[in-house]
Amino acid sequence: MQQTHGHTLKAFDQDLGELRGLIVNMGAFAQAAIEEAMRCLVERDTSAAAELVQADEQLDELETEAERRVVELIALRAPMADDLRDVIAALKIAGVVERIGDYAKNIARRVRRLPPKGEIEPLSLLPEMAKIASGMVHDVLVAFDQRDPVLAQSVCARDDALDDFYESIFRTLLTFMMESPQNIGPSTTLLFVAKNLERIGDHATNIAEMVYFAATGERLATPAE
Amino acid sequence: MTLIAERPLSTAAEAPVVPPAKIAVRDLDFFYGKAQALTRVDLDMPANAVTAIIGPSGCGKSTLLRAINRIYELYPEQRAVGEILIEGENILSPHYGLSRLRRCIGMVFQKPTPFATTIRKNVAFALSYYERLSKSELADRIEAALRQAALWDEVKDKLDASALSLSGGQQQRLCIARTLAVKPEVVLLDEPTSALDPISTAKIEELIHELKQSFTIVIVTHNMQQAARVSQRTAFFHLGELVEAGETSQIFTNPHVQRTQDYITGRYG
Repeated sequence: MQQTHGHTLKAFDQDLGELRGLIVNMGAFAQAAIEEAMRCLVERDTSAAAELVQADEQLDELETEAERRVVELIALRAPMADDLRDVIAALKIAGVVERIGDYAKNIARRVRRLPPKGEIEPLSLLPEMAKIASGMVHDVLVAFDQRDPVLAQSVCARDDALDDFYESIFRTLLTFMMESPQNIGPSTTLLFVAKNLERIGDHATNIAEMVYFAATGERLATPAE
Repeated sequence: MTLIAERPLSTAAEAPVVPPAKIAVRDLDFFYGKAQALTRVDLDMPANAVTAIIGPSGCGKSTLLRAINRIYELYPEQRAVGEILIEGENILSPHYGLSRLRRCIGMVFQKPTPFATTIRKNVAFALSYYERLSKSELADRIEAALRQAALWDEVKDKLDASALSLSGGQQQRLCIARTLAVKPEVVLLDEPTSALDPISTAKIEELIHELKQSFTIVIVTHNMQQAARVSQRTAFFHLGELVEAGETSQIFTNPHVQRTQDYITGRYG
């Protein structure tokens, strides 16, 4: 159902708008963290990676701020119906985006475990996979911002592609490790990175389900596993 | 190792069972002279539950209560067309006696309306009108009604004091006791707490919660939080039409009609 016009009480609209903006900012932060972590990984930029690990604290602070605002909004504005669903979704999404930030941080942490120079063949697939994952994070936050259930649904649909990527990277790395024991260390690191990206996709899918519910009041029907 | 004991949860989330309707409004139109205040209203109000009627001023919610207790008959230019069935019997029919209806349906108004006499006589008044009771029976019934209205402990030592000496919240509970004394089946509440402070309001809301075990309750309220707190079903009226009716939890978390959503979220007008 559409939100036809603003609330009679304008300050309520402002509170909701600011909460929405805060969640979108968190998403932008997490998306940038994924992309920066991947750049650090490809370029073996260990110092920038260390900075990125530090910067994750900011995302934790934003989450705390989102929680504070949600509690205040519920106490002071008593939101109902779609407003209530939006506010609860914001609270849950803040927690999930914080987790996504943690996965980006984990990727950044692993940069120093890779050998400084030299091409590692399977690394070529990871940036493509990361592009899908960060694209899902971006789009699902846009879907939340615009209350767009169709876009949310399309994010869910992309999770399969990410899972396929993970499968194929997993096989490639396995072959690579079998070729030479020397490859086991770096390959394991890359496998963790791929797993982190795959988890980011799962979390983006969870957010998409929350966005869909907030916007429509209906549960998104998930295809049976 | 002992496991954490599982706690029983309320089963409210299970598939809602819509109880049979105590009051069934069928195709009801209502007119003040030529002005139509209700249009083709169909609404079921289940027994032993609280039905909240919400909507902006002038939407017809008080008119609905006026129709249910036929108070409008005092005014010749007002008329109701359609049916209001209580357990299948049309109370709008001229064959349905007004005295019988008054006995079946009690009403409490926005402002407390105690009679300017003693607390005891306030409750005894309607009782002695409808029933011939011995002195001791009467005393028992007065006590029972005051207990039901959660007022007994506060007034038991001053039953012969003036009702007007009570606080607003106590006066309203006295009016509820007066209504309950004649053992009605249906209790209509027209904004019963709008003139009361939050503590008195909470007491009346707790009382409503208790009373629904024994009565069918219909409450008109401007306070949506109150509708959400006390009712099991909610009906939203707008411009004399019933826009949406359903489980209170559904109406307040996931209304199906745009106008309902706009109203309860504060986007109306």
